[in-house]
Amino acid sequence: MNEPAASPVKEPENKEKYKGLIIVLTVLTTVLAAILAALQADASIRADIASRESQYYAIQISGELHRVGLETNYEFNVYGEYLTNLQEATILELTALEQEQDGNTKAAQTSRELAAVSQARATLGEKFSIFHTDPRYAPKNEGDLPNAEQYLIDLNKKMTELLAKQNEAADIYDKWDGKADSYVTALTILAVAFFLFGLAQAVKNARIRLAFTGFGTVVILFSLMVTFITLLG
Amino acid sequence: MKKPNWFTSRFEVINAILIALVSLTTAFSVWRTNMVGSLAADENRAGLIDAVKSQSYDNENYRKLYQEAGFSYQFAVKEAEVQALEAGDSLEARDRAANMRQYLLPNMQLLAQPLATDEKYRKADGTFDLQKRFADMQNEVQDDPDPTLAFARADSYFSEQRWLVVGSVLLAISLFWLTLAEIGNERLRMLEFAIGLGVYLFGVAWFLGVEIVFLFLR
Repeated sequence: MNEPAASPVKEPENKEKYKGLIIVLTVLTTVLAAILAALQADASIRADIASRESQYYAIQISGELHRVGLETNYEFNVYGEYLTNLQEATILELTALEQEQDGNTKAAQTSRELAAVSQARATLGEKFSIFHTDPRYAPKNEGDLPNAEQYLIDLNKKMTELLAKQNEAADIYDKWDGKADSYVTALTILAVAFFLFGLAQAVKNARIRLAFTGFGTVVILFSLMVTFITLLG
Repeated sequence: MKKPNWFTSRFEVINAILIALVSLTTAFSVWRTNMVGSLAADENRAGLIDAVKSQSYDNENYRKLYQEAGFSYQFAVKEAEVQALEAGDSLEARDRAANMRQYLLPNMQLLAQPLATDEKYRKADGTFDLQKRFADMQNEVQDDPDPTLAFARADSYFSEQRWLVVGSVLLAISLFWLTLAEIGNERLRMLEFAIGLGVYLFGVAWFLGVEIVFLFLR
C-alpha cells in the first residue's frame, strides 16, 4: 500500500518574533539617551561657566579701559602743562634779556617776574608728572624726552592680560557649546531610532519588523559615531 | 510537584509596579536636575549683574579721583605761582599775590577737596596720594556687591547638577535591567530583577546623598 505523499505543512508565522529584541534595543536606546543627556548637560555647564567668565572679563576690561583713559588724560595734561610752563619761562627770560639790551629795564623786570612764575609752575608740575617722578619713564639724560611708549605699554598691561583671559574663555565657550550642540544632534538622531523601534513594534509582518529594527540599529550606530567624534574632538 | 512561591507567581506584576516607580523616580530626578541647573543659571546672572554694579562703582570712583586730582594739581600750581609772586621784588606782583592768596586760592582749594584740604593725602614733596584717596573711596562705598559670591554659588549648583545627572543615568540603567527581567526568560529574570533593583536603590541613595551633601556645603 502506497502511503500518500506528505504535502509540505506551512508553519504558522510567530507573531511575537523579534519583539523581545526590539524591547531590548528600545531600552538600550533609553540608556544611551540618558548617557548622552548627561554628556550634553556637562558640556552645557562647561560652556555656561566659560561664557560667564568671558563676560566677567569683558566687564573688567571695560572698567580698565575707562581707568586707563582717565589716567592717561590726567598724566598727559600735567606733562603738557609742564612743557608749556617751561617754554614760557625760557621765552620770558629771553624777552627780558632783549628788553635789557634795549635799555627797557622796567619791562625786563616784569618779564623776569613772569618767567619766575612760569618756572615755579613748571617746577611744581615736574613733581606731579609721572614722566619725571617714575624712574621707568623719566628722561635718562638732560634734554631727553620721557619714555611715554613704555608708560603706555605698562598702563595697558593689565588690560592686555584681561583681554587674553577673555579670549581664552571665549574659545573654551565656543568649544563646549559646539560639543553640547553635537550631543543634541546625537540625541535627535536617537529620537529617530525610537520612532523606528516603535514602528517595528506596531507592524505585524515579522520581516518588516526586522527591517525596521535593522534601520533603528543603524541609526543608533550613527548616533554613537557622532557621540564618539564629539567626545574625542 | 514544586509549588511556585508567592513572589515568583506575582513576579510580573511586582516588576511592572517597580518599573512604574523607577520611571516616576527618574522623572522626578530629571525635574530636580533641571531645577538645580536653573538655579545655577540664576546665580550666574546675578553674579554678572553684581559685576556690572561693582564695576560701575569703580568707574565712578576713578572718575571722581581724577577729577579731584586735576583740581588739586591746578590748586598746587596756582599756590606755587602765588609763592613765586610773593618772593619777587615788585610791589605790584606782591599785591597781586596777596589778593590771589586771599580770594582765589581758598576757592580753588574748596574745589580740590578733600585731596587739597586733608593733610593725610599730602605727600612730603607737596603732591597728593591718589592711591590712598582711591582706597578711601572704595571703603566709603556701602553696598559694593561681590560677584564672586554669586559665581561660587552658581559653581556649587552646577556641580550638584552634574552629580544629579549621574543619578538620573543610574535610574535609567535600572529601568533597562528591570525591563529585561520583565521580558526575559525564567532562568535569568531573577538575576536581572536583582541587578535592576540594586541599581535603582543605589541610584536613589546617590540622589539623596548628593542633595544632602550639597545642602550642607551651601
